[in-house]
Amino acid sequence: MIVKTLWCGTAMKILRRVTDISLKNKIFFSILAVLLIISLAIAFLARWILVSSLISELELRGIAIARTIAERGSSFMLDKNYTQLLTLIFDEMQLKERKHLIAYIFVLDTENNVLSHTFTRPFPPELRLANQVPPDESKSVRLLTPLDQAAYDIAIPVKEGIYRLGTVHVGLNKSHIDHLVSKLRTTFLGFLSLVIVIFFIMSHKLAKYITKPISRLTRVSDELSRGNFDIKLDLGSITEGWDPYDCPAYANTDLPCWHFDDLRTTNDNPDRIPIDYRSCGKCVFYRKRKGDEVVQLADSFHNMVWSIKLYRRRLHESEEKYRSLFDSGPDPIFVVDSTNLQIIDANPRACEVYGYEREELIGTSFLELEPEHGGKSTADFAESGDVQGSVSFQKVLHERKGDKPFFVNLHACHISYKGRPAIIIAATDITEMMEKDAQLIQASKMKSLGEMSAGIAHEVNQPLNAIKMGSDFLAMMVERGSGIPDDQLHQVVTEISAQVDRAADIINTLRAFGRKADLVKEKLDINKPVKGVFSMVRRQFELDNIKIHLDLASGLSPILAHDNRLQQVFFNLVANARDAINEKRDRMHVTEGGVISIRSHEANGEVVAEVRDNGAGIASSVKHKIFDPFFSTKETSHDMGLGLAITYGIVKDYGGDIQVQSTEGEGTTFILRFPAVE
Amino acid sequence: MRGLARLMTGIWIVLWALFACQPAKDSAAPSEVTPGVSDTEILLGSSLALQGHASYLGKQTFRGYQCYLEHVNAQGGIHGRNIRVIAYDDSYDPPQCLANTQRLIVEDQVFALFSYVGTPTTVKILPLVEEARIPLLGMFTGANALREPLNPYVINVRASYYQETGAAISRLVSDLKLTKIAVFYQYDAFGFDGLTGMELALKQHNLAPVARGSYIRGTLDVEEGLHRIAASDAEAVVMIGTYEPCAKFIRLAREQGFNPIFYNVSFVGAEELARRLDSFHDVTVIMSQVVPPPEGPEDGDHLGTASEYITLLRRYFPEDRPNFVGFEGYINAKVLVEGLRRAGRDLTREGFIRAIESIQDFPLLPDITLSFGPDDHQGLDQVYFTRLVNGSFVLMKDWASIKEQVRRVDSQDLVVRDSHEDSQKGH
Repeated sequence: MIVKTLWCGTAMKILRRVTDISLKNKIFFSILAVLLIISLAIAFLARWILVSSLISELELRGIAIARTIAERGSSFMLDKNYTQLLTLIFDEMQLKERKHLIAYIFVLDTENNVLSHTFTRPFPPELRLANQVPPDESKSVRLLTPLDQAAYDIAIPVKEGIYRLGTVHVGLNKSHIDHLVSKLRTTFLGFLSLVIVIFFIMSHKLAKYITKPISRLTRVSDELSRGNFDIKLDLGSITEGWDPYDCPAYANTDLPCWHFDDLRTTNDNPDRIPIDYRSCGKCVFYRKRKGDEVVQLADSFHNMVWSIKLYRRRLHESEEKYRSLFDSGPDPIFVVDSTNLQIIDANPRACEVYGYEREELIGTSFLELEPEHGGKSTADFAESGDVQGSVSFQKVLHERKGDKPFFVNLHACHISYKGRPAIIIAATDITEMMEKDAQLIQASKMKSLGEMSAGIAHEVNQPLNAIKMGSDFLAMMVERGSGIPDDQLHQVVTEISAQVDRAADIINTLRAFGRKADLVKEKLDINKPVKGVFSMVRRQFELDNIKIHLDLASGLSPILAHDNRLQQVFFNLVANARDAINEKRDRMHVTEGGVISIRSHEANGEVVAEVRDNGAGIASSVKHKIFDPFFSTKETSHDMGLGLAITYGIVKDYGGDIQVQSTEGEGTTFILRFPAVE
Repeated sequence: MRGLARLMTGIWIVLWALFACQPAKDSAAPSEVTPGVSDTEILLGSSLALQGHASYLGKQTFRGYQCYLEHVNAQGGIHGRNIRVIAYDDSYDPPQCLANTQRLIVEDQVFALFSYVGTPTTVKILPLVEEARIPLLGMFTGANALREPLNPYVINVRASYYQETGAAISRLVSDLKLTKIAVFYQYDAFGFDGLTGMELALKQHNLAPVARGSYIRGTLDVEEGLHRIAASDAEAVVMIGTYEPCAKFIRLAREQGFNPIFYNVSFVGAEELARRLDSFHDVTVIMSQVVPPPEGPEDGDHLGTASEYITLLRRYFPEDRPNFVGFEGYINAKVLVEGLRRAGRDLTREGFIRAIESIQDFPLLPDITLSFGPDDHQGLDQVYFTRLVNGSFVLMKDWASIKEQVRRVDSQDLVVRDSHEDSQKGH
């Protein structure tokens, strides 16, 4: 059992050793083994054939000689002339060529007594009886060893008629045959050695021819796998000094390399059948030589390396291009992982703007930069998985380092980054813009405020007048000295207080209007700003013979907005309405009263406010331009033309929408919609 | 890569070691014990023609060496051992020689083979010599097959037939200015060898034999050959044969009136030939010898060895006359003994051969030395010419006298022929 395991173990080891030897040696050894086996087989076969034929041939010769002696010697035997018999057998033996063949000849009588022999020593006694011819046989052949020399003894009976006189024995030297056989053996061995030597040389050359290029290719391939594309591919007779810039496609990556690109585009459009695989008239690099498999392999390898080089160059260029775009982008760019919204990469500008180091940014969640997200956001977009699309978010609040908030416009689209689904987010810092916007609004507001001042003054005058009257009445009563009845006093005082409240209200409204808006939106009933504006301009407008109708629904859902900003919006709209009515009066000489109606209601989750006037209307040619900044239909130049632009901006800010309907000469209606919140 | 190369080399070596190396099988090493050598005796074997048509050659060779060996044994032998030679008769018959030699090697287990006679016989047993690795020393034959290619176990003493015929031909052609030379030879290896030698020699002079005649070993059927040669009108006949058929040839030639210069090689057996030609006085018979004449003290240059031979022969075989053949056998024995002496007490076949090869300038006679070497397995190179004068062969000093005789004989020849014709015409 142990022996078996040991044997198996060594067999395995040997087997592994065998498979590990080089291809060159494998070829050599296997063919050599076959050659040796065949040669040995042939050698043995030849030897066997030769030996058996030689022996039978010599036997025949010996038999012939023996028969001759038997024929000629029979008379001598009968005459008992043994001298002649001796001469006979000697002569037979000593014929030139036979000297080597015949070892001995002797003649026996019927009693196996020796009559004559050719030995020069005493006759070996064992030979007398060693090889006897049976009575009915005509010959007998046996291998004997007289005097330590192997010989084939051929015995032929000597006959006179049918009567046997004795036997002739002819001994053939076995060494004669052995000599021939050994000569054959030596010749064969020499031939075999020569063949082996020749084969050794040839197979080495052949194997080398096959394996040398393969090993070279292997080495080259190793170098390539390490990224060293500049090694010299000295495969066969490929020219040295391979300058890639000789190829126009390499130097300029916009040019196609026909060999490289043609196939790919064909694969993309399978319907497009290539007429031919196009190639440059004189392609510097791709080649296909005529030759055997080794040459073909070398060429193919060469071509592959060139393709890799080309491809890498393109990739490198592309990478550089986009890397520089990324690095030098004027806006912060983040690469965010789709699945967990972690920042994978950030460009230097991002670090600048957000105040973090790159290492701090990478790995943190993108949501940490957004303190709160309401409505649509990057997270939703990430989850949407819409690979093709991109999305942009306006005025998103982000926080830079130290929790300092600022506003950005985000633009996101899906990409695949390092095999993972990711989003590229570009964030444009709009804080400055927003501040300018705010300033602009403020400026416009101031202007509106200026416009409103007359009305405000008028409005405030009323309560002041009332207060004056009251206090004058009280002063008068006091001067009369009649005393003031309590109920009269109470009434007057209460009226004064109410008027003060009213005046204070107007002042507050004004103040609220003028205040810079808070950054944070609040839940607001849309009616509130409407009422606020109304209270400020009613009187003034009445003086102008413009009536304001309010049709405000109650229980409206709140919207997210700023009160004073919406006031600005409504003020702007009513101001425009007044201007339109005035224009109509001037132009058309109409004296009917102007009417501005403001209506609010809720529908489909939206809070809607309408501002209608029966003014001059807007010409359809300019209707699409009215929200453009610096656009004005008024002739006088003291209108900056920003009112509607700012209105538009504010409405949009709150996620709302503003539309205009107008009939020229009849009136205009502005419709504002805002999304309702709970 | 280096590791791989090492691995490859390792595999290769293993493969080679597995397959290439084979235990090299030596052929059976000869036994350690040297046969034919005992403490008291060195046993040698000889197969020669002691009977039959060439028995003179065998017998005289035998007696030649035997008298010397007995003399040596009488003096205590070599390093305390006696030398004994077992001699079998092969009657100049190669099969018999083969059988004898096998018997000597296998059964008698002789140390070395010694003093064989005849070309076909000796050449036949060469394979046995090679296989058994037994030394063969001193053959009464100048056959080329025993000399080329150099056989490490075969040691010749006498000069070769090529040398004999070469010398003779150059004398005949250069000195006597003869151009028509025929050849008469024994129809076997010996004859062919001599024939080849002669033709090679003639070729050097841009000549060729004008006629060729042969006879079968063991027979005396010389007529056909004689007829052919006589018809060619040769000026000289080179004869490669034994004494009996050669003598008959010369006799018949003279009777037919054909009287060229007859030249024999040494193998013919000078004394026997001379004996058979006793009755002829006007034949010019020249014979080449490879040993100097043992006899003839009047010339005064055969002292030392030759006289030793004569003395010993008289002692052990008194009824024999000293002769060239026997002298050769004697010289063979002298070489043998010298070799055994130099080989030492520790006698082996290889050692014996090395010892022979070490013999340099061994003095046989005052002006005749024997030399051997690792590349030289032939002791003597000299060729002597003798001429039949008054029933015996005597050394020839110069060839001028032959010239005279040739001319004289020629003219005599004409006279004789004329008288023949006259008598026929009925003078």
